[in-house]
Amino acid sequence: MFQLMIFTPLILTISSVVLVLSLALSKKSKMNREKSSPFECGFDANSNQRLPFSLRFFLVTIIFLIFDVEIVILFPAIQSIFTSQEFYWNFIFISFLIILLGGLFHEWKQGSLNWAI
Amino acid sequence: MQFRTTYKLVTDPLGSEPKTNQEIVDRAGDHLLLTEIFRGFGVTLAHFFKEPATINYPFEKGPLSPRFRGEHALRRYPSGEERCIACKLCEAICPAQAITIEAEPRADGSRRTTRYDIDMTKCIYCGFCQEACPVDAIVEGPNFEFSTETHEELMYNKEKLLNNGDKWEAEIAASLQADHLYR
Amino acid sequence: MIQVILFLVVVVCVLVGVAFFTLFERKLLGYIQLRKGPNKVGLGGVLQPFSDAIKLFSKEHVSPSTSNYSAFLIAPCFSLGLSLLMWLSIPSFFNLLSFNKSVLFFLCGLGVGVYGLLAAGWSSNSKYSLIGCLRGVAQTVSYEVSLVLILFTPLVVTVGYELGSFSSFQENLWFIFIFPAAGLIWFISCLAETNRTPFDFAEGESELVSGYNTEYSSGGFALIMLAEYTSILFMSFLFSVIFLGGDCSFFVLVSFGVMAFIFVWVRGTLPRFRYDKLMYLAWKFFLPFSISYLVLMAGLLSMLFLGFKEC
Repeated sequence: MFQLMIFTPLILTISSVVLVLSLALSKKSKMNREKSSPFECGFDANSNQRLPFSLRFFLVTIIFLIFDVEIVILFPAIQSIFTSQEFYWNFIFISFLIILLGGLFHEWKQGSLNWAI
Repeated sequence: MQFRTTYKLVTDPLGSEPKTNQEIVDRAGDHLLLTEIFRGFGVTLAHFFKEPATINYPFEKGPLSPRFRGEHALRRYPSGEERCIACKLCEAICPAQAITIEAEPRADGSRRTTRYDIDMTKCIYCGFCQEACPVDAIVEGPNFEFSTETHEELMYNKEKLLNNGDKWEAEIAASLQADHLYR
Repeated sequence: MIQVILFLVVVVCVLVGVAFFTLFERKLLGYIQLRKGPNKVGLGGVLQPFSDAIKLFSKEHVSPSTSNYSAFLIAPCFSLGLSLLMWLSIPSFFNLLSFNKSVLFFLCGLGVGVYGLLAAGWSSNSKYSLIGCLRGVAQTVSYEVSLVLILFTPLVVTVGYELGSFSSFQENLWFIFIFPAAGLIWFISCLAETNRTPFDFAEGESELVSGYNTEYSSGGFALIMLAEYTSILFMSFLFSVIFLGGDCSFFVLVSFGVMAFIFVWVRGTLPRFRYDKLMYLAWKFFLPFSISYLVLMAGLLSMLFLGFKEC
């Protein structure tokens, strides 16, 4: 852990130093209104670029959140093989997975995995 | 705002459905073992070991047709007299109006140009000037490497065009000779 | 102190490796498409990455006037730093950097990596960037689930969170021969996770200009590219550690190179997928498959355990 506490700031410093160096070294030119406008195909963008987006992306993230939490709950199972009886470990692990699978199939049946908007 | 709620399948989904048991098993095997994807990988790997089709451009060049239309040139007769008789047919036919000609009778009474300009940035390299010319004076030679750094350098005048003609005469004559049956 | 130096050596080696990986990719794609790729700079093009780097870093830095400037600048630094940090978790030959929770560490790195993408796309304040980043985030997040669940299968066998311990379990038989399907799915999930070609919807240059890095230029773009290729190299290294032996010998470098080759080979072969099919692949095929596979493996494993106990 101590290593990480040194390395994480170190590596972030390295990458920001690279960026700052490139900012310092790069060609300078006068700012131009056309150049500093967001990329668009031949017309001035007059609306807000942060458009409302398809809710699908949000729903997928919600489903991901559920499964990620399940994964986090699953992780200690690996370490606890050593400290538990094989039969009970196996029973609990597999029944957990089967419930997870059941949840997935339920979501599938409810149509929340369909992408057609 | 209107959203599309469904999409149409263009192909008939049932048309390619397997019918017999054998077909079903074959198709399941194809899908399961990813045979088509692996065949695709085989194709790209075979391409990897093939000889590349590229040529090392500035040092190697591809073949040019005798009809290739490149940089313009004004030709001369073998005696050194310039061919152009200032008939202005090229100026008339040029669809981009890139050619400007001014002419006066010379001291010996022959009609010659005093000014023959081509704006190479207007020219569309259609070759009409070459076809219109009755004396084969203006031609489009085989040279295509005449890029410049400024716009002004591409405003060719008579001197430049005659120089081009002297420089490329051998190639121009060869390609005219190769193509003379069809002209 | 020696660890810091070693880590810096790893970072520099990874960055140089990434530079040459870009050249490797361009050459390989060139030969696959019957052309030669870069062959002018240096001897047969070996100096091309350096000239690319000089070009990129000396280009003009442009940021859109409507962008959120600090996030716009921080996002590339963050992505590159994170991808380099993930290299901490590889089993090191000198055993100075590896630690016993390295699997958890790299999974955390993967999870946080989404934020770099999100910040880069959102802060540019351009339609193309925003759409590219939305697609990229949804895709990365979906494939992360199946990636982790597939990783569980070897983890249940090795009983631990240490990448270094994979080699001792694969001395006689590689895991790719024990779990071939898991290996294939893990590889595909890696492709999706690193936004590589059949799944490069975050780039989508045919419809989204350049996706989430549309507005980036010069140094920012260079850092984003470095971050992407660093994570690609890391993923191919991880595959060779988890499924292809993974002992710290010369051979791991060979299998690492083969995996990097396959990453490029896939790019040279497969066209882009369709986005809804991508999502179906993740949620309706990989996820049920990986959970069922885990059930199967846990059952087999405990059968073996019980069997050992009886005899």
